Amino acid sequence: MTAETGIRRPYVGQSVLRSNDPKLLTGGGRFTDDLHFPGMLHATIVRSTLAHGTIDQFDAVEARAESDVALVLGPDEIASATGMLPCVWLAPDQRMTHIPIVSRKVTYVGQPIGIVVADSRAAAEDAVEILDITFAELPCVVDSEAAIAPGAPLLVPEWGNNICAQVDAGDPRDEIEEVIARAAHVVERRLRIQRVAPNPMETRAVVARWDAADESLTVWMSTQTPHHCRDHLATALGLRADQVRVIVGELGGGFGAKEHLYPDEVMVCLAAMRLDRPVKWVEDRVESLTATLHGRDAIHRARLALDANGKFLAIHSDILGNLGAHPSNVGLGPFRVSMGMLPGPYHFERAGGSLTAVLSNTTPTGAYRGFGMQEATWVRERLVDEAARELGLDVVELRVQNMIQPHELPFTTRTFQPYDSGDYPEGMRRTAVAARAEANVTSEGRIRRGLGFATHVEFTGLGDSRSQQIVGFSLGGYETAKVRVDPDGSVSVTSGVTNMGQGIDTGFAQLTADHLGIGIERVSVRLGDTASAPYSATGSIASRSMTVGGGAVVTAAGKVRNRMMAIAAHQLEISPDDLELVRDASGRDVFQPKGSPDIALTWEKVAESAWLNWNVPDEFNTIGLEETFVYNPVSVSYAYATHAVSVAVDLDTGLVKLEGYWVTHDVGVMVNPMICDGQVHGGIAQGVGIALYEGMRWGDTGQPTTTTYLDYVLPLSVDIPDVKIEHMVTPSPFIPGGMKGLGEGGTIGSPAAVGNAIAAAIPEIAGSLLETPFSPSKLWTMIDEAGLHV
Amino acid sequence: MKAEIRKIALTVNGQQMSIDVEVRALLSDVLRHDLGLTGTHVGCEHGVCGACTILIDGESTRSCLTLAVQADGCAIETVESLGSVSSLSALQEAFRDNHGLQCGFCTPGILMSLCAAERHGEDLEETLTEVLGGHICRCTGYQNIRAAIEAHWAKSVTR
Ligand code: FES
Ligand code: FES
Repeated sequence: MTAETGIRRPYVGQSVLRSNDPKLLTGGGRFTDDLHFPGMLHATIVRSTLAHGTIDQFDAVEARAESDVALVLGPDEIASATGMLPCVWLAPDQRMTHIPIVSRKVTYVGQPIGIVVADSRAAAEDAVEILDITFAELPCVVDSEAAIAPGAPLLVPEWGNNICAQVDAGDPRDEIEEVIARAAHVVERRLRIQRVAPNPMETRAVVARWDAADESLTVWMSTQTPHHCRDHLATALGLRADQVRVIVGELGGGFGAKEHLYPDEVMVCLAAMRLDRPVKWVEDRVESLTATLHGRDAIHRARLALDANGKFLAIHSDILGNLGAHPSNVGLGPFRVSMGMLPGPYHFERAGGSLTAVLSNTTPTGAYRGFGMQEATWVRERLVDEAARELGLDVVELRVQNMIQPHELPFTTRTFQPYDSGDYPEGMRRTAVAARAEANVTSEGRIRRGLGFATHVEFTGLGDSRSQQIVGFSLGGYETAKVRVDPDGSVSVTSGVTNMGQGIDTGFAQLTADHLGIGIERVSVRLGDTASAPYSATGSIASRSMTVGGGAVVTAAGKVRNRMMAIAAHQLEISPDDLELVRDASGRDVFQPKGSPDIALTWEKVAESAWLNWNVPDEFNTIGLEETFVYNPVSVSYAYATHAVSVAVDLDTGLVKLEGYWVTHDVGVMVNPMICDGQVHGGIAQGVGIALYEGMRWGDTGQPTTTTYLDYVLPLSVDIPDVKIEHMVTPSPFIPGGMKGLGEGGTIGSPAAVGNAIAAAIPEIAGSLLETPFSPSKLWTMIDEAGLHV
Repeated sequence: MKAEIRKIALTVNGQQMSIDVEVRALLSDVLRHDLGLTGTHVGCEHGVCGACTILIDGESTRSCLTLAVQADGCAIETVESLGSVSSLSALQEAFRDNHGLQCGFCTPGILMSLCAAERHGEDLEETLTEVLGGHICRCTGYQNIRAAIEAHWAKSVTR
């Protein structure tokens, strides 16, 4: 896809319209479920209906006899044909490090235990109904505090408890305690972030095709990480990586939920191999809510210590993290990131956390937009607001006074985060000025109004590889880009990151056109096919596509440009320093001696001669115009933002209405401001969902009770106000191109800002605003208990 | 388990056809999988998200809550009936210009609801609240969808 013509370089910094929008707007996007192959069959996954137990019997005789049923595989058949999936991010001494594709032991409702393949999805679903499955039920535990209570049902009885691993971060505990002990003021709270489901609008989907003659497996799937899925498919199915090709079409959102391979996806591929026919599986929404990884579910017992003047001395949190039925691929990762990012933009003499991660009979938890940072921000920013309230200080002044100053950057926090660049106090001040000037904070009758703030620093652009090794994360932190100018002068770019709806392909086209020095209409970006994209261990996760992937694109494009310049200079018999690449009056990209527009070589002509290998510099030791660059960043880049939101709360209904929203953020160089703003808007909406509406719930028997959109409530347009965004631009000091990541910031800051706004509106209940979501019924109860109902 | 088959007559995006469908088949599935019109998306299959919205005899309808046999004799319009890649409709242009879509999964359903609203002469306020209120978008935070609607309505009023 090429972008629109008509705008001029530099493209970086311009809101170039997205190249694949016309396709998406006309129904021409190719999502996985849009694929159809001759002879294709349809799969349904058989799932545990029990939270905890063992499968006594899996009898498929009747189902197999149906004429439209092609295959039924139960737990024993699948287990004997598949290997385990390795957990990718391991904590020290983590007690479970590999996950079987299937097991006769079931530990959550929705766990995949078999697969039925039939002529149609309806026929497959019918066949599931006539499977004869019996379970032996065991007592279950859903809640993390119940899971560590004495006598709790155990998921792995040999362990003697449900604790999967414990990790500390930051300063030694005794040093933190010593600082807290001598503090003039300590704010201590138990805060909770509920379990949420990521809910990309496109559920997970797989189409698998086995080529028996070639012994190769092609898998179209809705994933953020095609190479990672390819590697794990090969591991689980006993194939070589080169036998597996993963292709990603359009992705209908991912938000972290599609960043690894799931056991049920392996089953679909196994079925295709058994049947030697293409097999499609598309998750339905109930499955998406119960079998796709959840996010959050953490309880923090956190303390903020201050001196008599309001100077922050220490912050610490004891975290109880609910892993669900087994550690996900990222395991304790989100909870560990919460510890690492707990200090935020502030100075502390000492800071750290202690994490206990437990198993429970619930869907496993993993990556979701904001990955531990949203939780850390919720905890820290609520504590800061509580401190301001208790000490009678201004919430903005207290924050600004404790912030790391711009001249102190780079600055390594007490939790070993090497913050790179920026001006945190300025971001806070700008937000405060805008919000305080514009927000309506006047309460009227039974409507209370308030303005709340939250500020955070965001870890973006996962890499470098060495740091990942230190924290036990088995994913290379680099990214590779390949840029090729073809003989006709057209440009192809590929990279291992994926377009998950964010529009990274348009951003890469902008970077490429600028760094080659040509019109963007020449550039096409193709992502998502392991057969053609360079290897990417990590893919599109952790707000890294533009930082790490973009850094690779910038460098590779620069190298191709240098080759083009050298060839043109050679042919014009001048030094490259005396050469320029310009767009001439008739719209051609031409090389010409500086100041001599009458002597010109067209871009196409130079490209053609490069591939003929005619008239190229003698010192060239390779042919052609293709450059591959592997970019391994020296460090993580850190974006930051301050959010402010004004709310109106109806004391009689508990309903919260957001009336205004202001953000100042700094994501380094903005390649495409329109896309940047869109990421912030979307991230905020997801954060507002966490603050006010969303939450997975289970009944006592471990049955999920929020399995449709009637029970699991997502924000609608009416719930999300327009957001006023102010940009600061502090280029990343080391990413080529100066970008920092921004995919998650909107989600990280917004729940805390909303919570603090409710606290400002109703100070009588501020001290108990500790657990999201603040549904009307929950708030109504708090308002009632505070005696505000007459 | 053979389901009963029935022949139905449809006019889909202006084209008349007669097709055999299972009586239990959802219209969304028939459009997507039997007719290959995959622009209509399915996000929840329980009538909440609005991704599957199409027009039946000009009225916006959840195709995931409609059996194909219920549409017998009806005229159906899907996103494929709007503009083309090389010539977007004015509404589609407004979405592109205002970044009213990210992943684009919810978009076809929203466009179809808006088409019906525009034809019915709904005013901007009603369209932003009641019409857009029937759709879940997980990517955009709705702000730029509202901007696209505002831009398009501003133009259509002056047209
Ligand atoms: S798919 Fe029809 S409303 Fe969601
Ligand atoms: S654009 Fe992705 S759900 Fe709306």
